[in-house]
Parts: sequence; structure tokens; C-alpha cells
Amino acid sequence: MGKTVVVTGIGLVTPLSPFGTIGDFWIALCSGTDAVRRMPSPLLDTGREWLMAEIDVPDYVRPEEKYFYLADHAMRMTVSDAKLENRHAGLSVGTVLGNILSKQRRLMNAGNGPKRELESLSYLVPYLAAKHEFGGPQLTISTACASGTDAIGVAARKVMSGKTDVMIAGGVDVLSDFALTGFHSLQALTETKVRPFDKNRSGLALGEGAAFIVLESEEHAMQRGANVYGKVLGYSSRLDAHHLTAPHREGRGLAAAIKQALLQAGLGPAGIGYINAHGTGTVYNDLMETVVIKKVFGDYAYGIPVSSTKSMVGHSFGAAGAVETICCLLSIKNKMIPPTINYEERDPECDLDYVPNKSRQRDVRVAMSLSAGFGGQNSAIIVGEAC
Amino acid sequence: MLMVITGRCRLESSRIEEAMNKLEGLIKPMRLVHDLERLAVAAVGGALRDAGLSFPIGDSTVGMYIGIDDAVEDIKDKYFSGVLADGILGASPLLFPFTSPNALAAQVSIAFDLRGEGIVMPINGSCPDVIEYATDCIAGEHAKKAIAGAITIKDRRLSIEEARYYAEFFVVESEGDAVKRGARTYNLNSSGAGNRECI
Repeated sequence: MGKTVVVTGIGLVTPLSPFGTIGDFWIALCSGTDAVRRMPSPLLDTGREWLMAEIDVPDYVRPEEKYFYLADHAMRMTVSDAKLENRHAGLSVGTVLGNILSKQRRLMNAGNGPKRELESLSYLVPYLAAKHEFGGPQLTISTACASGTDAIGVAARKVMSGKTDVMIAGGVDVLSDFALTGFHSLQALTETKVRPFDKNRSGLALGEGAAFIVLESEEHAMQRGANVYGKVLGYSSRLDAHHLTAPHREGRGLAAAIKQALLQAGLGPAGIGYINAHGTGTVYNDLMETVVIKKVFGDYAYGIPVSSTKSMVGHSFGAAGAVETICCLLSIKNKMIPPTINYEERDPECDLDYVPNKSRQRDVRVAMSLSAGFGGQNSAIIVGEAC
Repeated sequence: MLMVITGRCRLESSRIEEAMNKLEGLIKPMRLVHDLERLAVAAVGGALRDAGLSFPIGDSTVGMYIGIDDAVEDIKDKYFSGVLADGILGASPLLFPFTSPNALAAQVSIAFDLRGEGIVMPINGSCPDVIEYATDCIAGEHAKKAIAGAITIKDRRLSIEEARYYAEFFVVESEGDAVKRGARTYNLNSSGAGNRECI
């Protein structure tokens, strides 16, 4: 199977205790803090307020610089947490919209704005590599809402195959008028609260953030005496080949991704102690995920806690999968499962244990994060405790 | 494991219709909204045909690894120009999903019923990283075959009919599998020499 891949560093900026420590994030998450607020659109006057989870940045950071600011902060936090001095590290970053506020500004100024190259999806990775002096492979991944998970999975494979010893992987995206108007046009945004798996769930709320982890070969981590959060046990990506925006009702692709990740991890359905769901709060996604978990895990499905941390931090697109993989690692480390908040009424069709409203202590040893996105993208990643 | 290329297609956007005509009746009937989608479907179809693979594929053994450069920014510009012109009502639900680069991979996956891996990598003009990752995935047994390549913007000053966009896709598989099914192979090797020819 190749080299064992361990996680030796974590860094993230989310709407929950932004710019705080990893511990601050975890406490806010397990306390069930709701970061979603009603506020005006970032740059345009859209004539209304929107529910979203925003990260306040210092005044000197212009909107079109926020994308780089968040990514850079999370990167510094990650490198520091890992005590990483290996300048051969590679980067793998997931992003969906890139520096979209820069594009908005340019188009709002009739083409006379920030340089067009700053909008390019492939701009961030070389920028971060140059700034932090990393000389390894540089990859950008854009697979819609699965981008962060896929960026980590692709990086893990690079380490597993021996192509490099260390990769830093994760994702970043920012709130934008672009995304707000787009999801509004698709009627995917909630007007009340994000209530994943609840009978009255009515849609998602957009969020933003940046999150990275350090992946390295176990032998490399041991050689330098690194602190190990956990191991990457399995990862898989699968396409629905069904519809551009709607998930396959039976979750064909997600089920295949989970099965393949379990196979790679050498685990059966009893092997998973926690699932961090994609859990957007939309009617179809949450039903599809429930159907898939029941299909793949059979009777075990009812004994696995499944929660959606998007209920607290919103949907941060490219960052989401990375934030949620970190939630899985911290669940294993802290033996605690974060809740699904705003859960009030049970949906007869969504009848699993969604850890409603309160975090729960549990001896989680292996956890799985699921991601699904536009275009029938599906990814599953499994992480386990370090021996 | 030695990797070989068994199918290849290079296509400029000026020849999309000609290439799409060759796929008529062979792919799932679907509405292709943007020219980039049509280019992606036409080029992948050309590569699959060149490799002697029949479609729909219908399983998860074929992975798809697509590089795309700033070509996708054209769609974003068009979408947001609508918002600037007409506010919220100018936001097109038809166009918005295509502002995510993986929409191209999605349409290809639907057209050919590709249910394997799907990874889209924004690139800066060339795609050796995409080809390398595709071969890694075959070597790591995450896919039996790979469709790998890229869509790029050739010249921003040109219209679509004048070959504004360019696509090049390969079908990659292990030499053993290619020999087993009697596939013709291109004279490219696994050391990366072939990769350099990609766009």
C-alpha cells in the first residue's frame, strides 16, 4: 500500500473564534456556537441582508486581499504547530472560487482594478510556496465542495507513494457576492437557520475559512520527533455521473467513495467511530447522505454518531473538507464529538444519530469525513489514532 | 509499472462541432450550455475513441484527471457581469454551476458515464502535474485507466470560432493492460518524456 501517512500539524481560520488557537476553535465547536449571522453582502449593495458566517479581518486588509490573508494565517499556524523546518514540503490546496473578491472588484471597476492574474485559481499555491519557501510539489485542486478533502487525499497519496516526505494540504475560500447571488439563484440558501438532518431544514448558509494539515511519512515524522495527531487510513473520490447540481438520490458516488476508502483502510462497517457528514442542511443532500450511510454501514449505521459542523461554521467551500478532516482528527485526540446544532425536529427519513445540539464524549479511534459537491463530486477520507 | 498512452485527442474550439458530430448517438443526450463543456466532451470522446474504448463506460475503473487554466474565468466573468447589470435577478442559475471548474469534468462524466475518480486541477498553462498524478493513481491501483489532459485558453483575443480554447486529452493505462486488450500505444514512455508533450 505504500508508506504510512501521519498528520503532524493543524492550522485553521474559521468564523468560530477566528485567529484563535486550535483549542479555542475546538471549545467553540464543542460548545455548539453558532457563527451564522445576518449581514450585508461583502461588496455589492444587494438590497438585503444574508445569513452567513463571516470572519472579521483587521481594517488594513482590503476585501480583495482577504483570501490571501486567511490562507497565509492558516499556513503559518500549521507550520508552527508542526514545528516544520523541512523546506522540501509540497503544497496541495483546494479552492472553488479562488480570489473571487479581486475579480469582483475588477469587474465592478469596469476592468480597472486588481491585476487579472490575482484571480487565477492557480495563483495561490505558488504564492504560498514562495512566501513560506517550500520547494516540493505544488498542486491546486478544484472539485467544488469536495476540494479540501480531495486536496488532502491527493497530498496523502503523494506521501504514500514516496514522491515526497511532507505535504501541507487543505483549502481556502472566502465569502463573496458572487457565491451569495449564485446559491440564492439556485434557492439553496436558508432564510432561517442551518439545520442539517432536521425535518425543517431549509438550506445552507455560506461561510469562509482556511484550513491546512501537515501530512508526512511516519518514518519522517518519527525521525524528527514530531507530534502526531493521527494517521490517514483511507481516501477515495468517486463521480456520480448523474447531474450537474443535484446529488444522485441513492448516493451512488458517495457510497462508492466510502466503500473504497474503507477497503483501503482495511476496515469493515464496525470500524468507524464517528462520521463528520457533508451535512449542508439542504433537503436533498442530507437525505442522500443518510441513505448512503445506511446502505454502506447496514445496522451499524444506527450506532455511529454522525454530525454536521457546517451547522456552526457554515459552508466554506474549498476549506470545508479540510476543516471537517481537522474536526475528525480533533475528535480522535480529544475523545469528543462536536454536535449538529439547531436540530429540533426529527425527520422520519433521516433517522440516524446526528449528535443533536450537544457535544458528546466518546472514545473515537477512527473517524471519517464525507464531502459531496456540484458536479457529482464525492469524497471520503478516513483518519485513525496514532498508535 | 510501465504506463503507456493508448488514446489521444487534440482539439481547438474552432472544431468543436465537427468533433461533436462524431459522437452523435454515442453519448447520453444532454444539454451542453457552454462551449468549454462541448470542447471537453468532444476532446475526451476523441481520446476514448482513439484508444478503442467503447462508451458508456458505466463503472468506476476509469479515473478522470483534468487540468484547466484561466479558461474557466470567462464563465465567471459572464456570470458576474449579469449580477452587475441586473442585481440579484441577474444571477443566472443556469450559468452559476459552471463557474466551478469541475463542472466540465461533471459533464464529461455524465456524457460517458464515468463513475471513477474525478480530480480537477487548475493549472498555469501546462499539465505535467495532471498526467503525473493520473499515472500515480494507476500505479497505486486507484484506477485501472485514466483520462488525463487539460483545457487551456490559447489566445484571449480570439473568439471561440477562431480557436480561443484548446484541449488535449490522453488515455493512460498500464502497458500490461494495453497489451492484454490489444491496444495500440503511442511512443511515449513512463519517464515523463511523453508528459512534456502535453499542451
